[in-house]
Amino acid sequence: MFNNLRRFIDKIKPNFVEGGKFAWLQSTFEAFETFAFTPNRVTKRGSHVRDAIDLKRAMITVVIALVPAMLFGMWNIGYQTSLHATDWPYELGTVASWWYCLWFGFLRMLPMLAVSYIVGLSIEFTFAQIRHHEVNEGFLVTGFIIPMIVPVTTPLWQLALATAFAVIIGKEVFGGTGMNFLNPALVARAFLFFAYPTRMSGDNVWIAADLWGTDAITSATPLAELAAGMHPSASALDMFIGTIPGSTCETSVIAILLGALLLLVTGIASWRVMLSVILGGGLMGLLFNAIGANEYMQVPFYYHYLMGGFMFGAVFMATDPVTAAQTNTGKWIYGLLIGIFAVMLRVINPAYPEGMMLSILLMNCFAPLIDHCVVARNIKKRQHRALKLSKTVKS
Amino acid sequence: MEVFNGTCCLYPINVVILQRDKDAINMMSKTFFTSNKMSETIKIRKGLDLPIGGAAEKRLTDARSITTYAMKPTDFVGLTPRLLVEEGDMVAVGDALFCDKSDERIRFTSPVSGHVKAIVRGEKRKLLEVVVEADSKSLPTPMDTSAIKETMLKCGLWTQLRQRPFGIVANPDDKPKAIFVSAFSSAPLAPDYDFIMQGREEVLKKGLEALTQLTDGKVHICFRPNQRLAKQLSTLHSPLSIHYIKGPHPAGNIGTQIAHIDPINKGEIIWTMNLQDVAVLGELVATGIYKPERVVAVAGPNIKNPHYYRVKCGACLAEITKAQLINNEYPKMDSNDATRENRVISGDILSGTQIPADGFLSAYDDLVSILPEGNYYDFMGWLMPGFRKFSFSRTFLSGLLSTFHFSLSTYQFDTNTHGDERPLVFTGNFERVFPFDIYPTQLIKACIIGDIELMENLGIYEVEPEDFALCEFIDTSKTEIQTIIREALEKLRKEGL
Repeated sequence: MFNNLRRFIDKIKPNFVEGGKFAWLQSTFEAFETFAFTPNRVTKRGSHVRDAIDLKRAMITVVIALVPAMLFGMWNIGYQTSLHATDWPYELGTVASWWYCLWFGFLRMLPMLAVSYIVGLSIEFTFAQIRHHEVNEGFLVTGFIIPMIVPVTTPLWQLALATAFAVIIGKEVFGGTGMNFLNPALVARAFLFFAYPTRMSGDNVWIAADLWGTDAITSATPLAELAAGMHPSASALDMFIGTIPGSTCETSVIAILLGALLLLVTGIASWRVMLSVILGGGLMGLLFNAIGANEYMQVPFYYHYLMGGFMFGAVFMATDPVTAAQTNTGKWIYGLLIGIFAVMLRVINPAYPEGMMLSILLMNCFAPLIDHCVVARNIKKRQHRALKLSKTVKS
Repeated sequence: MEVFNGTCCLYPINVVILQRDKDAINMMSKTFFTSNKMSETIKIRKGLDLPIGGAAEKRLTDARSITTYAMKPTDFVGLTPRLLVEEGDMVAVGDALFCDKSDERIRFTSPVSGHVKAIVRGEKRKLLEVVVEADSKSLPTPMDTSAIKETMLKCGLWTQLRQRPFGIVANPDDKPKAIFVSAFSSAPLAPDYDFIMQGREEVLKKGLEALTQLTDGKVHICFRPNQRLAKQLSTLHSPLSIHYIKGPHPAGNIGTQIAHIDPINKGEIIWTMNLQDVAVLGELVATGIYKPERVVAVAGPNIKNPHYYRVKCGACLAEITKAQLINNEYPKMDSNDATRENRVISGDILSGTQIPADGFLSAYDDLVSILPEGNYYDFMGWLMPGFRKFSFSRTFLSGLLSTFHFSLSTYQFDTNTHGDERPLVFTGNFERVFPFDIYPTQLIKACIIGDIELMENLGIYEVEPEDFALCEFIDTSKTEIQTIIREALEKLRKEGL
């Protein structure tokens, strides 16, 4: 079968190269060809042997790491509806109801995923073709993440608009994958947050009322409860498992940690960033505990890990290698500040119940500056060494 | 945990941060200006030993009877040659075939006596090879060796002395701050110098002593801890400075050793010489006879008979590669690929030069690597578990399993790039195989945009392309980093910086 497919590709290939009938689809063809077969390219000079990893492999590893959170998110969409819906077809707590929760969530997520990928990939393919570049794999991850970090009731047209905005303004205007300075998925979320604030926060967006519509059931997230001055109604265990209202796939800390494990074992994501975000958030939480001026400040510091998108952000978004700091020292500073700002925004600024998104975007902007300072220290050291040498020689 | 070279095949990843992050100045003044303390062991933590099989077995075949030899101007960085012979000319050992157009004292000489068989030119009449057919009557006459520099220049051995930065042939008028010699190689399939140097210890000593006359500074030689050769050379005296270096590849690279012992500042020059050439120098000094010979390891994962050959420099490798039966049982990634070709590389598989199977040994190499070509398609290669693929990351099942010291089959190494070129996306990995006090990603980017001041600030003078070989190997985006570094260095050199 593989050989037949290979033969078919080789047969139609001449149509898609320079001068062929469909040369205007060259990038698209190459994208599909390299999707099916890792190319037969050999090294020419330099290192004759190369590591087996490529960008496709790295990106698919991230997608696999996202799968537990995605699956749990789907189930939780159904579960949240089942708790409140009046016409839930199965008796709650039964196996049938459990499976129906997953099916319900799957049907809700599928259109969102489809919209995100179709809109994003068409833009990516178009840009690649115009630039005569190969299509980049970066959107594999971005397109997967965008539906995971928005409320389940987000209208599809808004999602499409946000995705287009993120890919064009967040990435392609800077030159595509590897050149952007803001995390594209977060750009999409920020676009929604500021363009359609009523659809992105408040108590009326987190739980779908039925299978197809954008109507919602009123229910507050723990962050909203705290911002209103109440103690979260969900227990720490519920928040850890993720059976709480929230953006589609960000609620389950345990599912996110499974993904984090894969990312760390494979070495794809930086452990420095993950650890330092968590440390930064914890430090700030402890500091607020020490002040303890209101209900929000008194909440145990580890609640910040369990609520909202903190862990999702720490594991999957802060670690984006393109937009994070690139030096190892820089990664520590970058991560610590993300954690600190995220918790600070949550507690101090009631206008933004979730600080993680803004905090990561803010530090994305500062990452180049952090790197600049770290590298400048190395440069200074080198100049100092040369200077000291010339003095020694003179004396 | 100390991870020692060669013993960590399945789990070669050393993430611990370089322990010698001390002030470089202290180290430099210690080794350079004061009387040196011998046998200081330098530990290198960053790096990677490829778990590749097929290193040369310790057997030696005499292949000095090969009759065809060539000098290749392309082996010498930035050289513009001026041809001095014509086809059919008779030449003796040490007769110049061509010289450096900008400094005619630097002569590239014939390693054998015979006649010039061919002058091979490439595009734009670029001189590629001067081929010499050897005759049997090759008894060189002893030379006057009272002035070492002049003798070396005259017989052509001088060209084996290279300068850092830039990797060019040393300029005889320069005063280098030090000369470095590495007594071991850590590259994949590297030859074992303890074996190669057996019985040559005395001439090696002579050669090292001769080197000390070429510099006012120190001559540094680096060994593995407990290397046999180090003990045999222990009677060497000052101003020779001996170091021991521990750790994975690139511990044996001269660049790594310089960076840890006496880093290069702007305007400074260091000379380097390969160990076997030092022995040739020793013999020249002792007997007055120039014998450009060396022992070459022939190795590769799919050849049946990897071992050592004694050859003269510039030897045609046709006979040697033909004698290497290809092991057809070596795993094929592609089932319908019956005719697997092999690549012959003069040098190691990370930074050597591809040559034809009947090509010639390059000027600075003592290793010939043979590697299967990888021109096959791999169905959904980016998605499959990958039992035989080696990756520095653990994104393939082979890597995940090896984390638990468990492996299902041996790794497959070939010349496939395993993916297309992409922009630099992933960060933080180069640092794990790059034991320099330099930010590799930033330096590579500075080289790509051609910002000379930034390159200088980031330490371009301390590196050569081969120092980036491992970065290029592990790079997710398949960038040709060594080419980028070479082009940047050439740009700097041409601007006279």
